Amino acid sequence: MSKAAATVATARDGGALARLARWLDQPKVLAWLMLGPAVLYVVAFVGFPFVLAIALSLSDATIGDPSLDNFVGLSNYATVIQTDAFQLALRNSLIVTAGVICLILVLATLASELLVYSFRGKRLFQTLFILPWAMPVSLAAIVWLWFLDSTFSPVDWILVELGVLGPGSPLGPYSHMYYLGREWLGLASTIVADVWRMLPLATIIVLAGRLSIPEERFEQARIDGAGVFRILFRITIPALKPMLIVAILFTSLLVIGEMSMIEILTRGGPGHSTQVLPYWAYLKGIAGGSLAQGAAIALFLFPFLLVVSVLALRAAYRAQEA
Amino acid sequence: MSPPVLKHTHRFGQIAAAALAALAIFSIGSTAALGEELKPAAPEFPTSYGKMQFPDQFPDGTSITLTQWSHFVPRYDEWFDQYAQKWGEAHNVNVTVNHISIGDVPSTLAASIGAGQGPTLFEMNAAPAAFIEGLKPLGDVNAAAKAAFGERAQTCRHSSYLPAKDIWYGFCHGWVPDPGVYRTDLWQEAGYPDGPVSYKDLLEGGAKIFEETGIPVAVGMSPELDSEFYTRALIWSFGGSVQDENGNVVFDSPETLAAVEYQKKLFENAMTPEVFAWNPASNNQTYIAGTASYIQNSISFFRSAQEIGSPVTENTGFRPGLEGPGGEARMPSHVWFIYVMPDYVTDKDKIAAAKKFALDLENNYSSASYYAKFYNFPAFRSQVPQLFKEGGWLDNDPWGSEPADKLAILGTAPKWTVWLGYPGYANPAVGEVYQTHVLSTMMANVARGEASPEEAVDNAAAQIRKIFEKWRERGFVGGGE
Repeated sequence: MSKAAATVATARDGGALARLARWLDQPKVLAWLMLGPAVLYVVAFVGFPFVLAIALSLSDATIGDPSLDNFVGLSNYATVIQTDAFQLALRNSLIVTAGVICLILVLATLASELLVYSFRGKRLFQTLFILPWAMPVSLAAIVWLWFLDSTFSPVDWILVELGVLGPGSPLGPYSHMYYLGREWLGLASTIVADVWRMLPLATIIVLAGRLSIPEERFEQARIDGAGVFRILFRITIPALKPMLIVAILFTSLLVIGEMSMIEILTRGGPGHSTQVLPYWAYLKGIAGGSLAQGAAIALFLFPFLLVVSVLALRAAYRAQEA
Repeated sequence: MSPPVLKHTHRFGQIAAAALAALAIFSIGSTAALGEELKPAAPEFPTSYGKMQFPDQFPDGTSITLTQWSHFVPRYDEWFDQYAQKWGEAHNVNVTVNHISIGDVPSTLAASIGAGQGPTLFEMNAAPAAFIEGLKPLGDVNAAAKAAFGERAQTCRHSSYLPAKDIWYGFCHGWVPDPGVYRTDLWQEAGYPDGPVSYKDLLEGGAKIFEETGIPVAVGMSPELDSEFYTRALIWSFGGSVQDENGNVVFDSPETLAAVEYQKKLFENAMTPEVFAWNPASNNQTYIAGTASYIQNSISFFRSAQEIGSPVTENTGFRPGLEGPGGEARMPSHVWFIYVMPDYVTDKDKIAAAKKFALDLENNYSSASYYAKFYNFPAFRSQVPQLFKEGGWLDNDPWGSEPADKLAILGTAPKWTVWLGYPGYANPAVGEVYQTHVLSTMMANVARGEASPEEAVDNAAAQIRKIFEKWRERGFVGGGE
């Protein structure tokens, strides 16, 4: 190939590359390229299973025959709603989620206030603080299972040593509290364990917002004579509102769809008094073999979660605008 | 210098110690000799069972995968893995064994059926009748086993055959007795030298022990396997049941009501609220910790306690099923070992190899039972004569029970052991009632005062009827006329 021909070819390649670069630079193309993997992921791992779950809930599929060839309308929803177990599971899912969110909001705000300052051992504290989130949920649940065990609970041992638990003591005649064997103690134990696990994530989210508040605003407030609580309620919390809403959203979605904690701690007992929807859906659909009814139970929270998510995101957007 | 009396005592002590040592050596020697005599024979792999013929060697490239639950006696899994490899080498088959948690087996089978691919054989711990549409019928294997091994345990037959469809959906190779377990020292002190014989004894003696020592009766009322089995044992022994022989729901009977009222009394007089959120390991832990006077469980906890040298093993006694008011005693099998083959397995060599593996395992069940430390009982008692014969393994436990015949009562287990669905067959409706904890929830609601016995029984019966109707419409349950 002559030198002139090579030059022409190179120019042609350069032209093609340049054209490709210009095409890729178009905002529409670039947007699709950047969003493509995420969209594919959502379609494959969220959209498809979601549509499949809807289809299953409208069929009479069983675990041995998961085919969708028999449409039964909303009868699975009508059947599951009538049962005591479902009603208790729905109630408990909402109680546990609301309880976790309330505690998380207070504790994450306090923790972010603490972590914004420098102090000796802060790094160690941060590492220990993040551990519950880094731990697999089943392992975390087993830790709490032993902590609250009906025979070996160290909490009970301390209470007995303090004289507040045991025969003739204020907390009753037994030497154990049986945290997981009593309805409201069981629910409270689940909330505490979930808070322990979720607090690091919520704190990180809130801390990001806290660090973005200009320090001058706090200094100005202090110069104007504002105390700790006034600064907290008049400056910190209003400025943190968007991040707190994000923390609420993440926490509620993660807690309401979680079944391992209940499965390991109480298995939904006593009776169904600590049952939650995801675990009941598993028991009914997979263990019990009624795949269609399990899908109906699992999907029941979807409209509720959709509304909560839309409202929360809208509130966060408005707060940011303000 | 020691005073003369002490010297004499010292010498006497030496003589006594020597005599005891000689006796111990003699006992060990004779036990060892007995153990050698009764030890399982080396595995044998015949090429035919009944009408089924198999090749000596399978074609190159044949492989099978087994997914089964991790055994509660770890020694069994060690033996099984070696056995499976030996079997594979003998048949030119590549055998892979996956041990998974017992709770994960149904969901793994469901996922495999959904995906249309996965292991060749699954070992289920309870009748997997709900999966029947995704499973291959194993009538030929069951017929071959009957021809080769003879009489089958009723608990296995009723947990692998569905009369409504006339299909053998599984091959049950073994089952596990679920005896009553009591603390001999506590019950002797309470005036019951042989432990509780009836539910009346359990209530009266258990209440006395609880009052005097604070140690409760520890039978579960939690949504888990042991609680479900205890509840059924109680109801059966009182004369009630979930269904009749034909699959009709007969739960709301006076007998069931009497059993529920009994349980409320037992809870109020001899138990604590710890039983409401137990998992399957909880009663074992509580018993080994010395804080239970009576539990209902298989012997795996006893083997674990032996291994860690727990002193509680010395004061442990076993009972067959407790008698109800009419003198009937019924206990469920604790678990079963049921092989099923999903419908997606289509390779002829794989199918033949898997079927031969299952039959060979039953043929060599004396090893399986021995290395499970007698946790596994055979589906066909002809395969483990050492287990049931007088002076056999249960009378002279080679795994170190003291006294050596502590487990002898298990030899009568086939007489008092029944199955999920008794007196009818296990079926998907029975399975769903069991897996969604309808009965243990009913008991817990009554014991906690959330419902009267009458309300709880009516409520449970209504739930059970709905579940049965759903499966009956699909043709899985008989009765209903």
